[in-house]
Amino acid sequence: MAFDLKIITCLTVTCTLCFRLEAQGQVLSDTIRSEAIQEITVTGDRISNPNSVSAAKRADARLMQATGTLQVSDVLKYFSGATVKDYGGVGGLKTVSVRGLGASHTAVAYDGIIITDNQTGQIDLGRFSGSQAESVRMVSGPDNDLLQPAALAAQAAVISLNTGRPDTDGKEASGYAETKYGSFNTLSARTGGDFNSGERNTVSLHAEWLKTRGDYPYIQSNGANSLSMRRENSDVERFRAEGALFSDICRNSSLTTRAYWFQSAQGLPANILYNENAARERLWNRNGFVQSTLRTTVNKRLDLRFSAKYGIAYTRYLNPGVSNTQGKTDNRYTEQEGYLSGTMLYRMADRLSASIGVDGRLSGLDGNGAQQARPTRYTLNSTAALKYASERLTLTGRLNHVVTMERTELREAAESYNHLSPTAGLNWTVWPSAGLHFRASLGNTFRLPTFNDLYFEQIGRRDLRPERATVKSAGIVMENMTGSMACSFYADVYDSSVRDRIMAVPGKNTAVWMMKNIGRVITHGLETGLEIRSHEGIFRPALLVSYTYQRSMDKTDSGSSTWNHQLPYTPRHAASAVVWMENPLVNVSFNLLYSGEYYCNGYNGPEYRMPSYYETGCSLWRSFRLKRYELSLRAECINLTDSRYELVRNYPMPGRQFRISATIVL
Amino acid sequence: MTGYLSKIMPLLLITLACDPEPVLIDESQVIADAGHTGVYVLSEGLFNQNNSTLSWIDFSSGQPDSWNSAAGRSFDVFEKVNGRRSGDTANDLLLYGSRLYIAVSESGTIEILDASTCRSLRQITLNRNGNSSQPRRMTASGGFVYVCCFDGTVTRIDTLTMMADATVRVGRNPDGICCAAGKLYVSNSGGLDPQHPDNTVSVIDLNTFTETRRITVRSNPGNIYTDGTGVYVVSRGIFDYGTMDYDSRLHRIDTQTDEVTATFDIPILNMDIADGQAWFYGYGAGGTIQVLDLNTGKVTDSDFITDGTRVMCPYSIKVEPATHKVYVCDALDYVTPGSLLCFSPDGRLLYRVQGIGINPNTVAFWDGSVTLTQYQGEPEIIGHIDRVFEYMPAPGQFVNLLPRYEPGDNARTMADKCLKALQSGNMITLGAFGGYITAGFNTPVSNGDGPDFRIDGNAYKGNAEPGVVWVSTDFNANGLPDDPWYEIWGSEQREGRSTPGYTATYSRPATDNGDSPWIGSDGRTGSVMHNQFHSQPYFPQWYDSESVSFTATLLPDNITYTDGIYVMSAFGYGYVDNRPNSAENSAFDIDWAVKPDGTPAGLSSIDFIKIQNGMTGCNGTTGEQSTEVSAIYNLNIGTE
Repeated sequence: MAFDLKIITCLTVTCTLCFRLEAQGQVLSDTIRSEAIQEITVTGDRISNPNSVSAAKRADARLMQATGTLQVSDVLKYFSGATVKDYGGVGGLKTVSVRGLGASHTAVAYDGIIITDNQTGQIDLGRFSGSQAESVRMVSGPDNDLLQPAALAAQAAVISLNTGRPDTDGKEASGYAETKYGSFNTLSARTGGDFNSGERNTVSLHAEWLKTRGDYPYIQSNGANSLSMRRENSDVERFRAEGALFSDICRNSSLTTRAYWFQSAQGLPANILYNENAARERLWNRNGFVQSTLRTTVNKRLDLRFSAKYGIAYTRYLNPGVSNTQGKTDNRYTEQEGYLSGTMLYRMADRLSASIGVDGRLSGLDGNGAQQARPTRYTLNSTAALKYASERLTLTGRLNHVVTMERTELREAAESYNHLSPTAGLNWTVWPSAGLHFRASLGNTFRLPTFNDLYFEQIGRRDLRPERATVKSAGIVMENMTGSMACSFYADVYDSSVRDRIMAVPGKNTAVWMMKNIGRVITHGLETGLEIRSHEGIFRPALLVSYTYQRSMDKTDSGSSTWNHQLPYTPRHAASAVVWMENPLVNVSFNLLYSGEYYCNGYNGPEYRMPSYYETGCSLWRSFRLKRYELSLRAECINLTDSRYELVRNYPMPGRQFRISATIVL
Repeated sequence: MTGYLSKIMPLLLITLACDPEPVLIDESQVIADAGHTGVYVLSEGLFNQNNSTLSWIDFSSGQPDSWNSAAGRSFDVFEKVNGRRSGDTANDLLLYGSRLYIAVSESGTIEILDASTCRSLRQITLNRNGNSSQPRRMTASGGFVYVCCFDGTVTRIDTLTMMADATVRVGRNPDGICCAAGKLYVSNSGGLDPQHPDNTVSVIDLNTFTETRRITVRSNPGNIYTDGTGVYVVSRGIFDYGTMDYDSRLHRIDTQTDEVTATFDIPILNMDIADGQAWFYGYGAGGTIQVLDLNTGKVTDSDFITDGTRVMCPYSIKVEPATHKVYVCDALDYVTPGSLLCFSPDGRLLYRVQGIGINPNTVAFWDGSVTLTQYQGEPEIIGHIDRVFEYMPAPGQFVNLLPRYEPGDNARTMADKCLKALQSGNMITLGAFGGYITAGFNTPVSNGDGPDFRIDGNAYKGNAEPGVVWVSTDFNANGLPDDPWYEIWGSEQREGRSTPGYTATYSRPATDNGDSPWIGSDGRTGSVMHNQFHSQPYFPQWYDSESVSFTATLLPDNITYTDGIYVMSAFGYGYVDNRPNSAENSAFDIDWAVKPDGTPAGLSSIDFIKIQNGMTGCNGTTGEQSTEVSAIYNLNIGTE
């Protein structure tokens, strides 16, 4: 009674696709820039923004240094409320879900513009290097920024990687070079520079290369037959090059144009099965885009922002060990995307402003499979927002609308979708002298079915509706800056619900699984954190601790065995801590991650229980002034205690590792 | 805010409420069935989770073996006994002889277990170029187990050597195998090419183990069954993207002509046959069990379940051949541990065992006793002998193989190999009539009340190859078996049906693969015939002489030949390799030892044992009767 062949193939390939193919993105810029500046002036570099109506967290370069961020996903593990699913190693897929909504509800934006993957709906955050962004910001709920593009405004949670306009300090040019070496034969190098061309133009160029064998040791635990082994086929080679031109066209207008190229070749670390550890799957990605954003302040009442982008992403997945006619599975996909966005902000009065925005997107997926539907999706996002901001009170209200239309070359296309979703937010300074704010938000968002959900072989169904999410959140944030210390604290409770969750379930023919809008999930949670930083003095200590509580209950069917069970890969308790101290001798940091136990399946049987784990690390770094150059040296130890755990069942995480790096800046 | 917090806070306080555990519900006490001791249920687990499990439900207690329910791996007796788990996606369970065979698809292994203890006797790895061959389904015939693997092969496993000894290529992605009329039928699904699946059934001749033809059927054939005369194969067809479903049919193949003689338009997913009827569940309409008359091809009962019991997702069906009770495995939602449901022949639910394992896929009835001992580390030594003095097999098809003869071996090294085999529970053969082994116990076996020692062989119902046992006490305390031997009289000697002191003389064949002729002391002649299953020389290769003679007690012929099947019936008691190892009457009492005149020997303890084949029978093409021994136990250890 074998697991039906069809199911196996289907599930294998689906898993492969869902979990492993990552599409790409784009990037636009630079509307975030003004906001970033605003943020810096208002909140400095602290993790929480006290004026935000939603829980907003931000990691700056210092926090990324203190946590030893190689990949952007590393620092997200320190954000309360973010649940990172990590398949281990540099090449293992890393996705982030926020507030029990599922990874597809978390948008990733590069320089303010959403990165989409219409095929799987998941973005691999392991692909972005920690040095790629000046800061990483996560907003769970409506954002304060009225100039936000419509597509971003409609998201439940947004992780933004912000590069910012380079600050050349009035110099003609500046440059840097860095090399990094770490355990398991990991070598990376990056270089780049910023060049001023006249008063108005700055050109910024960056290139980064990384190669790792990734053959870390692990223990395959099977009682009397437990084995010490090494990870195979987890090598990765990546290259990224990007160039940006920042132009001040006139006093009130700026144009940012960016060209981006990324390519990678990697093995896919395998699911470790007893007696069978053959790892052979390979993945290749190539992703390029060009994008441009124009921002104009027409007058003191009217701001405009326009963006345009074209991107292409090519993915090849190869499994050379399949018992079919060709003896392999060799999938190639090309996803292309065109994007246009316009937003207008109008300040009606001192305290009242309004904005409208429209985003149009055209995405097409082509593949080599015989049953490829080759879908094209037209998406039109519109948004209208109102904001009232006084000294002590900020109120935002927004209406998002989306309409989609799809075409396929093969088989019937999904139906059009037309949906209106509101969000609202409030931030009230309860106690100005103590810096105490109360914030609350309400958001109604959705995520569209992915192309895999709709068209993937026998499992996809074209009649899917989008998943809808509602999040209600309330909390306090307190910020106190006394002398040389900055201290902030936040605590938000929330209640989220996902309806029409898209899940694979057995169809009327139980041997044929299909995607269905069947699930319902309700989550209650708490996110809290405390940050203390010292800015002055010879010894400048800093501390960041956070705690997350999440109770994500399956509310699909009260008669089912999974009723009220916790969502998979969602620990009820998670905590993290980072302490670091900057000083003239050597900067030092310690970090700790803890996750309580969780389940790797929607059915919370003991069979699927995953034990709690923790991981610690430490870093030492220092900069030296050498004439015109600045040399920084850094050494870090990741997983100091060599804690062995699996975050995703049967995908072991690496044990203790070391990394050293040297950077020269001129 | 306050209201909101008051809603949240209680939740914060009860954060670590208990998680649900699998439960067992027993709805009836009447679970005995047709003399079976119980059922084994194999569950494949969830794909790529390494969580295949084996459950044992004892009909006398009515409970599954639940050794470790707190750890949540409640019913995996495989892990309980072997201290490890079997692996990922165990597809098929086969009970053959006294052993369980488990095909673990994604791990690429066949586990061979002793059905009485669930101890893994051997793990066979089936892979090609480091990739699992994905063993899917098994069948057995004539002492061999045949495994079809998804990589397009069928592998033959010799049940005595427990080794894969031959592989034959078939079509693409075979997904079912059965044995009828001396042939194997293998359904080639080609399911890994969903757009152009295979559409053939391979026929393999059992004697030559070669593919003799391919029968064309509809696309994507899957499960395959036989009722002895016909072969039935489910063909699923090509997935229809219009209806988003399969259009499945059932073919009947005539085993005489190997032609498709009928195609029933019934969308069967899986079935089990008993007395010309098939109990099945279908593609589509999940949960309904129906009955099909295989002679007419008509559905005689479109809803077998009469009491309204709902099976959410039938995943396996098994009909007890005699009582027609129907056992259905319910996979529920594929992630929750499923249930075993037992229905009366008229479709009423008799009982249900919940939480039996994730995706339970095979049910096997077992008649022997079961002792499941929790793993305590790999036992260094099995049994209680520490010396083999003499190993003198008569010619036989497993001679030179069990244990293996290698150039340079002599009588001493072969005896040492026997000791090693017996101390690790591996089989040795005594060859044909008269072949024997003598061994010494590590401590004297005292003569207590009831059985005193036990000798494991490979007997199962209809496959008795009895050997006679002699015992001896080290009266002169020199550690050597040079003291008088006393014969253990079993049922045949006591009833006067045996011939003491019968001598057979075997001659070395002219060629290595020739037959070994023998002549008996009464002038009777015979031959140990070389067969196609075992190609090595059958005459012990370390013997110097051209002939060898054995004198032993000849037991009466126990072979009957009916309906093309050789049945070797067991004698009453008192023999090796006569009854299943743990069965009643399989152990020995020192009180049965007699002096040459038949009077009780009156031994208070024994130190040595001699085991000698007492049969001259020949079992058609599968060859001579040969006693096999795998372990020798002192049953009085620790009881005094």
